[in-house]
Amino acid sequence: MASILRQITKTLRTSSNRNVVACNFARFQSTETSSAQAPVETRPTVRKSDPMQRTQLKDFGKYVADCLPKFIQKVQLTAGNELELLIAPEGVLPVLQFLKDHHNCQFENLADIAGMDVPSRPNRFEVIYNILSLRFNSRIRVKTYTDELTPIESCNNIYKAANWYEREIWDMYGVFFANHPDLRRILTDYGFEGHPFRKDFPLSGYVEVRYDDEKKRVVVEPLELAQEFRKFELAAPWEQFPKFRPALASVEEVKTDKKE
Amino acid sequence: MAQQTVRQTIKQVKPILSLDKEEARKRVVSLYKAWFRQLPYIVKQYDMPKSVEQLRDRLREEFNKHQDIKDVRIVDMLVIKGQMELMETVNMWKQKGHMMAYFKDTWEPKPKDFLSKFLSGKD
Repeated sequence: MASILRQITKTLRTSSNRNVVACNFARFQSTETSSAQAPVETRPTVRKSDPMQRTQLKDFGKYVADCLPKFIQKVQLTAGNELELLIAPEGVLPVLQFLKDHHNCQFENLADIAGMDVPSRPNRFEVIYNILSLRFNSRIRVKTYTDELTPIESCNNIYKAANWYEREIWDMYGVFFANHPDLRRILTDYGFEGHPFRKDFPLSGYVEVRYDDEKKRVVVEPLELAQEFRKFELAAPWEQFPKFRPALASVEEVKTDKKE
Repeated sequence: MAQQTVRQTIKQVKPILSLDKEEARKRVVSLYKAWFRQLPYIVKQYDMPKSVEQLRDRLREEFNKHQDIKDVRIVDMLVIKGQMELMETVNMWKQKGHMMAYFKDTWEPKPKDFLSKFLSGKD
């Protein structure tokens, strides 16, 4: 940069016309941008990858993992530029409080809480907090896990938005949130039994509801849909994009030095 | 020695509400009492074509359905769901149809013998 300035001042000092200066400056700028550019793109995608953002996210993930080594089990980047913190269920409150209040995080906004059910795991449910930092224009995902009977601490005292989201998770998956001020159903009908988003809940449900003209009210009756067992093969039999065959690993773990 | 290994294999779990069986039992009894006391009002408010005795029988049946459950956490979870249901009932969030659904009076029993199966068209 100093050399550039010297060049410019030299041209100014030699009192040549303005065009030359502008031209010089433009040339320097162009050389700078070309040198800062990423290596040649071999996999063109719609989603542009930003190496700068990736390194920032990785550094941030490492920093948080260093700050909270007790709770954070794994830090990973998914889909190129989405940072995920995988935490122990005991650490929901401290981790979210840290991410909200720490000066370098300021994730003040809870965008969503999602649930996930994988029945083959010992802790079958995943609870995923999507949080947003308006200050740093950045999003982060905090994942934790639980089973049918282990309560998770409600983060309603940290994020007021969690109230309805946690009710939704409770209603759909049956994950119990301890110390929630108003935990009750939110989407299903009164008297509905079961949690519809669990993988073992049948697609047609257990009961059907209809209006009975004799009783003059809505009645609930068991539903039985006989159906042969079918196994769906969801993978296509041909390759749609043979050019992109070795799929890019969508999850990339960020190495953190844990003192164990 | 054997006891030790057994003790080691028992998993430490986080309690939902109760720490031991006695506490869980107390919660169940208090929930039962709360429902029991509410039944006369429920009959009136929901205009149910049932007597209080019939509702009591149904309540008892509902609690007896889970009498074999020994796990404290499952008992707690059922108590929590029962409390939520009581709240929905007392606050009149439910309607008559929801309350009458407990009695299953429109359910047709499944055909069991050959002739009724044949007539209903199911095999």
